[in-house]
Amino acid sequence: MGKQRIILPPDLPPEVSEEEIQVSDEDLQFVNDNLDYAGFVSRLDTHSITKHVTRVADLKEDALEALYEKRLKKKKALQKDEEEEEEQPGIRVGHVDTLPVKTLDGQLYYRTLLNTSKPSEGEGEGEERTNETDKGLVKLTKAERRAKLKKSKKEAKKQTKELPQDEVKDNPQRAVLAELKEDVTAEESFETKKCKLAELGIALLADPESNIKLLKEMLQMCNDGNHAIVKLGLLSLLSVFKDIIPGYRIRLPTEKELEMKVSKDVKKMRYYESTLLSAYKAYLQKLMVLEKVSLYQHAVVRCICTLLDVVPHFNYRESLVEVVVRNISSSDEVIRKLCCDTIKSLFTNEGKHGGEVTGAAVRLIANYVKAHNCQMHPDSIQVLMSLSFDEDLGRSEAPDKDKKVRNKKYKKGNRSEESSHLQPTDRKKSRQEMMSKMRDEVAADYKAASFAPDIMERRRMQSETLSAVFEIYFRVLKHTMQSIVPRPSGDTGTTHVTEAHPLLGPCLDGLAKFSHLMDLDYMGDLMDYLKKLACSGGKTDSSGKCLTVSERLRCCIIAFKVMRNNLDALNVDLQDFFVQLYNLILEYRPGRDQGEVLAEALKMMLCNDRQHDMQKAAAFIKRLATFSLCFESAESMAALVTLKHLLLKNVKCRVLLENDPGGGSVSGSVAKYQPYASDPNQSGALASVLWELNLLTKHYHPTISTLASGISNMSAAPTQAYLSTLTPQQAFRDLSLERESFSLKSNAAKSSNKRKRASEGVTASSVDRVLEKAGSLDEDEVKKKLSEHYTLLRGVKENERLRSELDHTRRALSLYDEYKKQKKQKRRRKSHVS
Amino acid sequence: MAKLGKKARKFAKKNLQSVLRHKRKTNSMFKKKASKRKQQDAVEDHEGDKLDLSSERKPEVQDIGDISLDALLGGDCSDLGEDDSDSDGYLEVSTNAFEADMDDKTYLGEDGDVTALSVQNKDIDSELVEKKKKLDKLKEKDPGFCKFLENNDERVHQLSDEEMFSDDEEASGNDTQTVGESLNSSKLKLITASTINVLCQEATELQNVSALTSLLNCYRAACHYGSESSGFPDGTAVYKIQNKEVYSTILAFMLCEADKMFRNLLGISCSNCKKETILDMKNTSKWKTTKPLMKSYLRSTLFLLNQVTDSKILVFSLTQLRASIICFAGFPSLLHRLIKISIHLWATGDETLSSHAFLVVRDVAFLYGNDWFDICLIRTYKAFIGHCKFLEPGMFNHIKFLRNSIVELCSMDLQKSSSKALVSLQQLAKILQSALQTKNKEAVKKICSWQFANCIDLWVEFVSSNIHDYDLQPLLYTIIQIVNGVAHLFLGPRYLPLRIKCIQWLNHLSCCCGIFIPVGSFATDILEYKVGKVGGKPGKDFNFSTSVRLPKHWLKSQNFQEQCVSSAIELLCTHFDHWSYHISFPELATVPLIRLRKFYETTTNEVFRRLVKRLIDQVELNVDFVRKKRDEVAFSPKDQQSVESFLQCEKSSGNASFKQYYESIIQKSVSQNLFTSEKFR
Repeated sequence: MGKQRIILPPDLPPEVSEEEIQVSDEDLQFVNDNLDYAGFVSRLDTHSITKHVTRVADLKEDALEALYEKRLKKKKALQKDEEEEEEQPGIRVGHVDTLPVKTLDGQLYYRTLLNTSKPSEGEGEGEERTNETDKGLVKLTKAERRAKLKKSKKEAKKQTKELPQDEVKDNPQRAVLAELKEDVTAEESFETKKCKLAELGIALLADPESNIKLLKEMLQMCNDGNHAIVKLGLLSLLSVFKDIIPGYRIRLPTEKELEMKVSKDVKKMRYYESTLLSAYKAYLQKLMVLEKVSLYQHAVVRCICTLLDVVPHFNYRESLVEVVVRNISSSDEVIRKLCCDTIKSLFTNEGKHGGEVTGAAVRLIANYVKAHNCQMHPDSIQVLMSLSFDEDLGRSEAPDKDKKVRNKKYKKGNRSEESSHLQPTDRKKSRQEMMSKMRDEVAADYKAASFAPDIMERRRMQSETLSAVFEIYFRVLKHTMQSIVPRPSGDTGTTHVTEAHPLLGPCLDGLAKFSHLMDLDYMGDLMDYLKKLACSGGKTDSSGKCLTVSERLRCCIIAFKVMRNNLDALNVDLQDFFVQLYNLILEYRPGRDQGEVLAEALKMMLCNDRQHDMQKAAAFIKRLATFSLCFESAESMAALVTLKHLLLKNVKCRVLLENDPGGGSVSGSVAKYQPYASDPNQSGALASVLWELNLLTKHYHPTISTLASGISNMSAAPTQAYLSTLTPQQAFRDLSLERESFSLKSNAAKSSNKRKRASEGVTASSVDRVLEKAGSLDEDEVKKKLSEHYTLLRGVKENERLRSELDHTRRALSLYDEYKKQKKQKRRRKSHVS
Repeated sequence: MAKLGKKARKFAKKNLQSVLRHKRKTNSMFKKKASKRKQQDAVEDHEGDKLDLSSERKPEVQDIGDISLDALLGGDCSDLGEDDSDSDGYLEVSTNAFEADMDDKTYLGEDGDVTALSVQNKDIDSELVEKKKKLDKLKEKDPGFCKFLENNDERVHQLSDEEMFSDDEEASGNDTQTVGESLNSSKLKLITASTINVLCQEATELQNVSALTSLLNCYRAACHYGSESSGFPDGTAVYKIQNKEVYSTILAFMLCEADKMFRNLLGISCSNCKKETILDMKNTSKWKTTKPLMKSYLRSTLFLLNQVTDSKILVFSLTQLRASIICFAGFPSLLHRLIKISIHLWATGDETLSSHAFLVVRDVAFLYGNDWFDICLIRTYKAFIGHCKFLEPGMFNHIKFLRNSIVELCSMDLQKSSSKALVSLQQLAKILQSALQTKNKEAVKKICSWQFANCIDLWVEFVSSNIHDYDLQPLLYTIIQIVNGVAHLFLGPRYLPLRIKCIQWLNHLSCCCGIFIPVGSFATDILEYKVGKVGGKPGKDFNFSTSVRLPKHWLKSQNFQEQCVSSAIELLCTHFDHWSYHISFPELATVPLIRLRKFYETTTNEVFRRLVKRLIDQVELNVDFVRKKRDEVAFSPKDQQSVESFLQCEKSSGNASFKQYYESIIQKSVSQNLFTSEKFR
């Protein structure tokens, strides 16, 4: 307030005679609604105001007065500025402003009066403002004026005729007009409502503390009949709440607290908070109700998601989470995406809510999965991937905590003993105890208030969340297991495959990510499940459902990942998974299954494998070579890269590159190669020779052919770093058709023009062959044809000519009529003249 | 009945609807096929134009939607010399003027054979006579009307003129024939049989230039006969052809003898001359005298080619014109026109006409080389692209012929054509790429069309027939990738025909180029199509060879199953046959064998089981054979040379059981195809 800015006073409102000021119904209503604020209007000293105002406007005063005036004006200008900024009907008046001003005539003017007198001229959303700002509103006022005029006219008529009904009947036109008017007013009212919403919103954002009441009004507007208005109302409330919700939870004062005497500020604060909270609650309730209406669903879900995203710490978040989780598997793409994103952001930004909501959300999802029997959209499980668990929290702090607890217990025990011992205590001591108790209490309160729940708490929450997560995963696995159990009834497989297991994919991903957090006790079960799932395809011929090749490959990959994550601490036999992979390679279909998964499996299981079983390696080498003869270049490349890797690692397997009868010294138990064997150890691959490489060197893809020839020459150059860094996945991606650039370097410069064919030398071309068949042409025949052609042309020509002539004659004949008429006219004219 | 010229057709459409109807009826009775072809042609013409338009409008835009396949090579060889007016085709003659008799009436009595047209003409004539009588009567009765008529004469004529030619932009400025006749009657000359004979003798035996000149004028008149729109500028005489004999003699004579006469005049030998010989003569006096004559002849002949639609006449004139292709050296604009016309005929004509037209194109490309080769190639390519959008059963061979002829044309200059092929393939690849990456609907639709397929077909044929003569490796690689991409993109059973085509292309390329392309999984995929419940009843007849995509109802039919099994067996056989003597055949066959066995176990259809069993047995026989031979050798896989020579003797002797089996399979499929194509003809 103390700023001394020099601002010219705003122009006085234009002189408007009393009659011209039209007070709209709305304004009236507003004043009626807010009688408390408007009360001062009646107390206005209009006389002094007008006097003062006119005097200020008047410049014919002596110097002293002018100076004073100036100062006054300045203050007034400031006042006005503030007014304009705040845009509020009832301005709270600060202490400074309450000082009265004494004019030269010795009269006291209270600032308040002056201050409030300004808005009084356009009380509420007066015409003044509307005239300035909104054209739509101008229109409205005009229209309303018209309506009023009409009304008054009508009334006048009513008075004179006293037959209102008849009048309407008399003028059906009028009725139609009235209808039209209604339509127009509907549109207009939509506009006004929109504007009103905007104004309310702006007012709230500008000064939430004083305008908190307006929330209710906005809420009221959400009950409107118009869908658009309701949506607008919801969304504008959302943006208001987003801004004004404080960064803490509001705890409503208890009755005891209410009874206590508090300062004005606190009271105000309390009022503010309670209003806000109740409005928020009402708003949420409104949202919950509207969420079920499909018309509003998009908007409502957007509101809820945004709220949960922005203010997850605030009251009533539980219901928000509940709604979001309920919609997480929605069939509506937009809603699902919104909900999933919100949940993800909840998981990633745990600082906002201290992790409590995470646990709740995961628990809810778990329940939801259970309720829907795992038939949900994969996205709903995918969100769990963005969870993050603090491992240190679980491990390093845990022992300390335990110690502390133990200490505490111990201490407590001691104390109780002590207290019993030292029954006749000093007052001092008890007081000290009191003090310490108080301190503890305060600390606890502080803790509760602050967002850093102690580590114990966090640990507990985390383990709860984890257990919920694993519950979900195991439920999905179990469900999948059950579904693949062969059924006695011989259904054809096609229909069941499509129903499938939507959650299995993300579930496996999640297991791979979080398996290290799992209790080792469950690990055995998990591996068991995975093994069964991976094997499931093997005997599907009779059973109804089966997993796809990609899913089974995924299971194998996950099993290996789990093993690796646990640093191979588990003693699980992975042999079965190798058998599965060995067979799955043959079941792979390029278009149907995902090549990336296959490549990943090759990488995880063969390239990263640390065991050196020669039989197995040889079997895989042989199978991969055979595989690459049959599939597209990307798959072939991935297989060849793996093959090379295996050969590099297992030096002894290089006997496959040599044609050594009987597999040389290393031949295994099986003397002859069995290409169709399903167990790598029984294939006897060591006895075979990699003849495939010869065909692969003729492969159309240059990369593959060079790699193949490189491999076949590997025994000659034993230590080779060439390509060893390339992973199967990378190889697959590089050669996949989607990545194919098709960029052709036209190497015309380089290419040697071997032979430019002489065209005459072309041996009997297709054309010549055709011609031989056709034989030579007869000239006479051509002549005949030509004459026929002539005849036809002649006929056409003749026809054309005849037609044109006919037209002429016809026209001439028709002209005769005209001629007659003219003649008649002439005759008549003559007769007239005569 | 000869077919109508362009102008005549327009006229007929407007005025002779009853005639047309009649004609259509007779046509449908006698020449059903021909008329169908013609209609198709008309449709295709139209589309071809559209296509050209679109490509010319947006050649630079990279949007997939705008990459039309024929926006090839930036080839803007639009008609350069089309604007030459026709007027200088007329040669000034001082001698041998014939006074014309006004013998309009001769016509009506002349023809013995009564065509529908002549009947109508008679009708109109009688009506005309009636009306004229009436008019005369009126005139007699009322002399005032006579005057009135004279005053309004303008109106009568103008109105009619406008009506007659309102839709004919060519003729907008010209007088009607009647008016022309009355104005120029003094210059009208009648050509009779005797005069023609005399002229012919003079021209051939005496080599009289003036006789030749007037002959050429007559020839020109004959060529332009029926298209009066070409107005004669002042000072030229109007020739009138007496009857059909004269007409046919003059055309036949000129077409047969003109080349000889010109060569005599210029003194060039009949055979083997190059365009240089003509160009060298450009400054000699001989050339100066002959040039206008030659030009008139060529221009008239081209005009005739445009007018006539009868294939016999066209073939005759094309063959005659082909002899004097060298004469076009002096007239590039006419050469352009010749290329345009003959490519049009090549693309739309029937078998003989099309091949004759192609011979002309090929000769032009060969004789003129360089730029003209480019023009020919681009134009033929565009015409091909424009014509292969839809495939009707009857057109199958025609499209194949077109493809082969383009390949032949390309083979003339491999360096140039391979660069063109590269551009075209890049365009295909661009479309395919966007389809693969974004599943762009428009692109996918574009790929799944005959146009795209035929385009690939063309270049596959080109590469496979020329790979040994020229370094086409980049082309080969690209086209294989494109085919792979197409096969990759369309997996569903509805796209079976397209997939079969893809595998056939790959097999063909692999066979011709001696490279290995894995198709085993593609082929066995066909066996594993899941189409749900199979209704036992055979589906409706449906021509398999003319569609890229199958109708849905067909998928459930027995036919579809049969088609799947037979084509899978056929394709696998081709693949195996090619490598049946290769040392890695046992491994190559391993995976397909596993799949075949699985199919054999699961399928219940006895016929399929037998077919598949036979294939399995044959392949296993060959596997055992190769394996046994392989076990005997001592070399290792890295010894490429020994591997190459493995079993080469056996291959050349070629009586292994698998070979025989393969041949029987192929024969069967050929006969099957013949049968189906017969059925749908």
